[in-house]
Amino acid sequence: MLAMVLAGVAGGAGGAALLRRAWTDRARTRPLLVAAGWLMLTAIVLIGAWTIGPVKGVAVAIAAVSVGVLGVVARGRVVRSARAARDSLAPEPLEGPSRAWRGVLKFLLAGPLGMTAAMGIAFCYATWAPGDPRTRIIIGGLLMPLAWALAMTWTLADQRLLRALAVLVGTTVAGFALAAMRGLA
Amino acid sequence: MTGAKAKSRWPLSPAMVRAVLSGHGILGLAFAAVIYLVCLSGTLAVFVHDLERWEQPAAPAITHIDDAAMKRALDTARQKAPAGTTLYASLPSSDEPGATIIAYSPKFEREWSVDAQGALTEKATTFSEFILNLHIALHLPRRWGEFIVGLAGVALLSSLVSGILAHPRVLKDAFHLRLGGSRRLQEADLHNRLGIWALPFHVVIALTGALLGLSTLIVGVLALLLYRGDTAKVYGLFIDAPLAVNATHAPLPSLTALLAEARRRAPGAEAHQLIIENAGRADARITIKSERERLLVPQDTTSFDAAGRVLKDQHPRDLVAGTRILGGIGQLHFGWYGGVPVRILYGLLGLALCVVTSSGVTIWLARRRDKGRAVPQWERLWAAVAWGQPLALALAALVAIIVPAGEAVLWVWLGATVVLLLGFGALRFPATAGARGMRLALAVALVVLGTFHLAASPTNPTGLGIDIMLLIVGAASLLARKYLRPLA
Repeated sequence: MLAMVLAGVAGGAGGAALLRRAWTDRARTRPLLVAAGWLMLTAIVLIGAWTIGPVKGVAVAIAAVSVGVLGVVARGRVVRSARAARDSLAPEPLEGPSRAWRGVLKFLLAGPLGMTAAMGIAFCYATWAPGDPRTRIIIGGLLMPLAWALAMTWTLADQRLLRALAVLVGTTVAGFALAAMRGLA
Repeated sequence: MTGAKAKSRWPLSPAMVRAVLSGHGILGLAFAAVIYLVCLSGTLAVFVHDLERWEQPAAPAITHIDDAAMKRALDTARQKAPAGTTLYASLPSSDEPGATIIAYSPKFEREWSVDAQGALTEKATTFSEFILNLHIALHLPRRWGEFIVGLAGVALLSSLVSGILAHPRVLKDAFHLRLGGSRRLQEADLHNRLGIWALPFHVVIALTGALLGLSTLIVGVLALLLYRGDTAKVYGLFIDAPLAVNATHAPLPSLTALLAEARRRAPGAEAHQLIIENAGRADARITIKSERERLLVPQDTTSFDAAGRVLKDQHPRDLVAGTRILGGIGQLHFGWYGGVPVRILYGLLGLALCVVTSSGVTIWLARRRDKGRAVPQWERLWAAVAWGQPLALALAALVAIIVPAGEAVLWVWLGATVVLLLGFGALRFPATAGARGMRLALAVALVVLGTFHLAASPTNPTGLGIDIMLLIVGAASLLARKYLRPLA
């Protein structure tokens, strides 16, 4: 395991060094270098799967590669003297006056309604998808937080709240109704 | 917006990017404190077995136990536990030293370490238990606590998605880390670099954590929808049904013979756990779970009845995908599957997630300050959370060494948290000075903790390693130049 972890960190650092070199050159694109960098990162994950097992190896390799890449990021840090802020190139969030009812509705959409809609999707999958019921329940279970998270992202960004409300209520009703109709059998 | 000027191939329009960023900020601010606390306690929970050895250095940590010694240990545990208690015995390996027995029933729970002769030492690891309970349920009533932690997992997952969508310069800035200039730019670089390059790991942690936290709710609603609220029918799909009740006295079969039979049926697998239900009765069941090197969790299961007859013989090829995924979720989340090297990786990336969470709030605070709308009270409160929580946990660990039993650990942590929040909320001083003071206090606490533990307890290699790490981190923080500067 130690060998795989060290290889993963080293491979991650190697792949990151190639990508960094390619992306630092703003004057021209370096497709070969970019491809080599990604290939190296992918190869580490595949080697992990091959040497210590498909799930275990991929999990370890992903973590090791991340640490290796972050090592390259840390090594390439630039230290500047303290100064006041200037305009950033990064996008700024939308800001402006907001009405209280919109805040409450956004909370309901991202929270309880997003959760019930996500459950509707998960239960619909668990009851209607093909395969063993245990697999359907577990995959449905994994879908639930994922769908809820996506619903949160969407409803907090979308300014058309009534459309979001309609979609989430519709998904909830349809999902639960379809799941109840079918059952787990 | 200057970013809009650049020709971009980003799939979202600049207006949508700003809207997503706005949602990212709202969500992050709403859940920042809970996510930070869950991530910090989770980072420590990765090392919970090491912390147990640090807390109780006298507990045996064997790498091998023979079947006869384990039988003696189980017999002793049975005598110490009330009838009807299930015994869970974990067998040691060179990767994960330490044999343990947990006796569990809804009304009784106790855990012992086992030595090579089968003698038991009761576990007294209050700080490790405190950390696990903090991570799993925030020390709230279990169902509510798990729900809040699960909700924090969903919020984190959503923040990861929106963080990527709101970052059109993801490739251009992939390796930029500009420290020491504008505070906002420095924190944004830290936030984005750590968030992007550790993204797959963080998504896995957030998703598995959310599922673990929300599982009770999901099962409850699913049962309500399909089985009139009978959750046992859902759980029954995944666990073996209990044997028909028969309280007649019956001796346990020879453990050595059962282990030999399990090994014969699972060549290439190592026995990892024994589960003994209804020991001493005719409806007893002995389950042996065995693990294989290439698999994340044990997938070989052989069960026997009181007469030693095989009830169930299941191997990896017999398991459906759902059962395999279910078994692996906890291990993937906590990183307890690959020994010390994997725990170190999880620890580093867990710390990265703490920094991502903290820097997210700092960016918001810095942006407000840059625009002339500073919120000094919130700046102080966030300093009290970000630096106060590690300090509160260090104080709790110190108390755990001095008072190894009872709930003193919980009250010290809670007291320190409340005092810091109230103090930083009420007193008017610059947040930077408060943060600096707390970093100094944390450094001192770590040095005191390491020194006190070294002096007060007999030690083992794991404990010594943790003490040395505490001393190095504490001393390095104390000696860092920033403490030599006058307070801003």
